[in-house]
Formats: sequence, C-alpha cells, structure tokens
Amino acid sequence: MSEFWNPYAALAGRQRRLLGVAAVAAVLLLWSLLAVSGLVSATKLPAPWDVLAALAYLGWHEGQSMLLTATLWSVGRLLVAGALVIAIGIPVGIAMGAAPRVNAVLSPLVDPFRSAPVVALLPILVMWLGIGETMKIAFLFIGAVVYLIPMVRDAIQAVPQSYWIGARDLGATPWECVQRAVIPMAMPRIADAVIVGFSVMWTYITVAEYVNARQGLGQLIQNARRFSAWDQVFAGIMVIIALALATYQFMVWLKRRLYPWETEQ
Amino acid sequence: MSVAQPQAATAAPVAKPLSVVLEDIVQEYPLPGGGCTRVIDCVSLRFDQPGINMLLGPSGCGKSTMLHMLGGVRPLGVVSPTGGRVLIDGVECQGPHDDAVMVFQRYANRPDLTVFDNVAFPFRLRLWRERVAEAEWRQRVEDILKAVGLSDKRGLRPAQLSGGQNQRVALARALVLRPRILLMDEPFGALDAQTRDEMQRLLIELHRSWPCLVVFVTHDVTEALVLGDRVIVLSTQPARVADDFQISEPRPRSASWQRARETLALEERILDQLHQASPGKGQLRVTI
Repeated sequence: MSEFWNPYAALAGRQRRLLGVAAVAAVLLLWSLLAVSGLVSATKLPAPWDVLAALAYLGWHEGQSMLLTATLWSVGRLLVAGALVIAIGIPVGIAMGAAPRVNAVLSPLVDPFRSAPVVALLPILVMWLGIGETMKIAFLFIGAVVYLIPMVRDAIQAVPQSYWIGARDLGATPWECVQRAVIPMAMPRIADAVIVGFSVMWTYITVAEYVNARQGLGQLIQNARRFSAWDQVFAGIMVIIALALATYQFMVWLKRRLYPWETEQ
Repeated sequence: MSVAQPQAATAAPVAKPLSVVLEDIVQEYPLPGGGCTRVIDCVSLRFDQPGINMLLGPSGCGKSTMLHMLGGVRPLGVVSPTGGRVLIDGVECQGPHDDAVMVFQRYANRPDLTVFDNVAFPFRLRLWRERVAEAEWRQRVEDILKAVGLSDKRGLRPAQLSGGQNQRVALARALVLRPRILLMDEPFGALDAQTRDEMQRLLIELHRSWPCLVVFVTHDVTEALVLGDRVIVLSTQPARVADDFQISEPRPRSASWQRARETLALEERILDQLHQASPGKGQLRVTI
C-alpha cells in the first residue's frame, strides 16, 4: 500500500486491466442483485439479461437488424456533420489563431457559444431549417464546431514563436510561416480538437434525432421509451457509448500514427 | 573530421564586396511604469572582411538585439532600432535580408521533420525554390550533411539527436543557403563544454571552406578568443563598444596558445575593460 498515493507510479498493464474489469463486474453484479431482489421494479430498472435480450432482439429480428440500420443512419449523420466541422471549423480556427484581426472579429461571435445551451437552439433550427436531415446535421455541426474553433485557435497560438521567427529569417513570407512552420506544429493539437468534436457529436446525437427521426439510434431510444421498453432504451444507450468509445480509440490511434513526433519531445 | 568542400567554394561569398554597417544604433525599451530604458547607446560598427567577428558582452547587454537587427528579426511592438541605421551593402535594411542567415541558441529545428527535411526546409519556401533548382539543392543538402557529419542521421528526427547534433542541423540549414553573412546568436551556449569544443572546431572548418562574414554573439571570453578574427567587447546597460581588436593567430588555436601569457593578458584586459565600463553588472564566462 506504500504506492497507493503516488500519481507517478505506473501500474502493470495486467493489474490495471484486472482492476478495470473488476469495477465493471461489480456494477453488473450489483445491478443483477437489485433486479433479482425485486427492490427496484423491472419497469424502472430492467435486469442485465433483459437488456442483453433486447440487444439481441434489436440486433436481429425477423430477418432484419433494427440496430444496424439505426447505427448506419446515426453514423452517416455524424460523418456528414463531422466532415463539415473539419472543412469549416479548422480553417476558421487557423485564421483566428494566426491573424489577430480575424480573431478580434470572430471571437465575440464564437466564444460565448462554448458555454451556451446549444440544445436550446434546436427549436430555432427547426423553425429555420425544418424537421428534415438538414436540421439534424446543422445541429450536430453547431454543437461540435463551437468547441472545435476555439481549440484550433489555441493550438495555433500555442506554437512557440521561435518557429515563426526562424522561418521568417530564412525568407518565408508571413503566410508561408503560418503554412509551413506554424500549422504543421499545431497539427497534433488540432487533431485533439477533432477528437473532442466527435465526442461532443456522439453526446448530441440523441437530441439531434429527437425531432421527427424515422431512423437512427436516437429515434430507436425515443421509440422504445414511448412503449416503455426500458430494456431497449438501456440497450440503445449502451450501443451509443460503445460507438463513441470506439470512435475515440480509433481517432487517438490515428493521431499517434500521423504525428508520432509529438510524444518524442 | 574531414570537411566536404561545398561545390561553389571557389565562387566564394567574398567574390562580391561585402559591407555590413551599424550606424549610431540606439535601442530603448519602454518601462512598465512609464519612461524608457536605453539598452544600446550609439553603437557604430563596420564589417567588411569575411572573417569571424565576435560580439562579446555580459548576458543581457543587448548584443543579441544588435544581431537581430542585422538579421532583420525585430521584436514585436517595439521600434527597433530606436535610432540609427543598419546598412547591408550600402542599402538600409528593414526586414530579413536574403544574404544574412541566423543560427539561434534555441535551435528552431522542426520536431516533425527528419534531419534531411530540416536542412532542406528553406527550399520549400518560394524565395529559394525559385532560385535553386531541385537537383542542385538536393546535392547541396547532401554535401552540407556530410560536412557537418550527419549523413548517416538523415532519416532521424530532432528528438532522436543530441544537443550538439541538433545544433549541427541548425548550422547546416543556415549554410546550405551559402549565405554571405552568417549571424550566430550564442549558438553553443546551451551545450556542455566538450560538445562546445567540437562545435567550435566544426565552425572553424566550415568557415575555412565557406569563408563568409560571421557575426557571432557570445558571453564566453574563451570562446571569443578561440574563434575570433576580431573581438568587439561591449559594455552593458547601456551597451557601448568598450574595445575592438584583431587576433591574427591562425585557427585552430592550440591549447598552448590559449595558455600563453599574451592570451591571458588579453583576457585580463577584456575583463578589466568590462569591469570599468559597467562595474558589477551582467555575467561573463571564462572557461579556460
């Protein structure tokens, strides 16, 4: 126990995994006990095996997979919104970070939304864009881009000035300094911003699919709730968590592959 | 170490007459409480020979500021110089000059690029891409990597190199442009004594094969005596020229020369002058 309070002590991988698995198992056990004991009614907390059964049912029933269809729709919306976030948010963030005048103009328009209730914008988006796909993608886009833009700006501004000065001395134009010295150095942190953006979009997906969705994981949960199929609600939530986690892991792996030098320093 | 001769060594930078002039340079910085402090006071210097010129002064005396003026790297938000002019080849110089390349103490090597790409970096810029054909700059990068002894490290990134090797990369990136003027801002200040010796020897060899005008800023008296054709001693707060002399001893200068009575007398003279000009201010280093 001498090493219990020590933020720098690295646990052996085996021990770390064992503790993690034990924690999840403990929650599952507690959950099972609650379900078996009858202390909490099955309408409020479905048993783990009921959730598993619901997962199987959603996964394959009468020759079709509701879960797969819903997942593909949600992932599709997320990818479209994500592509827009990257295509618009990164250039805007770079311009704000690299040009103080652009920052002065745009930061009062962008920064307040970081702490604004983006969900409250949903009725306005419905009013402006209707209840179709455009509204859903716009909502996901806004939800993520207001986080991404300030992060990209900060990433640009965090690049040490010495790289800029060095390139300038070698005869680079100011834009070449930004393009050839500052942006490449900011890329790992820009990648972090994209990862955060995708995590944010996964948390908003159910809200985006709340209004008039015919397909999608949010709709699947919403629909199950309407029929009080709580086992399916739980199953849907777990699928979203699993997908969000998988996205995160994949993007972190990709980032390490693309920018191996970041961790060397 | 053998030094590969850069191809154009015959068409040396000396071919074109060289003139770098600092004329009545004054530099003042505003103080936070109002008013201003003068760090450089009416310094005039003229360089017209392709040798190694040492700007020697205590840390914080404004010698780096002077070098940055030559390199056209000006501090943000401050007029620099406050008074006086910088002339290169008779033309007043405002921004970075194509013929003057700097080497910084904190090497600005890019951690994401390999040694080769770090040295080839200038050729990614329009200015040099238009001037030097790709086949030629590739050859130049190869030659200079060989000259600084990093040919076998070409594929590594800066984090995989030592401090001295990183500074070799920075030196190679400057020399690959075949500059007429090389400005060095305490380039070996962060290195350990043994590596500094190696780098000094390397600089001497490189300068022999590419005899450009070097202006080298240091606060190390020994370094100034080991490297300099000319040593300019600056006082501190404000910086004025306290002494300016030539050393004719050929390089590399032997350990016995460094310990000779004349050398030690020279050293004493420098320290005396600095002490008189600015008693108790700044830090100087003697490594003998």
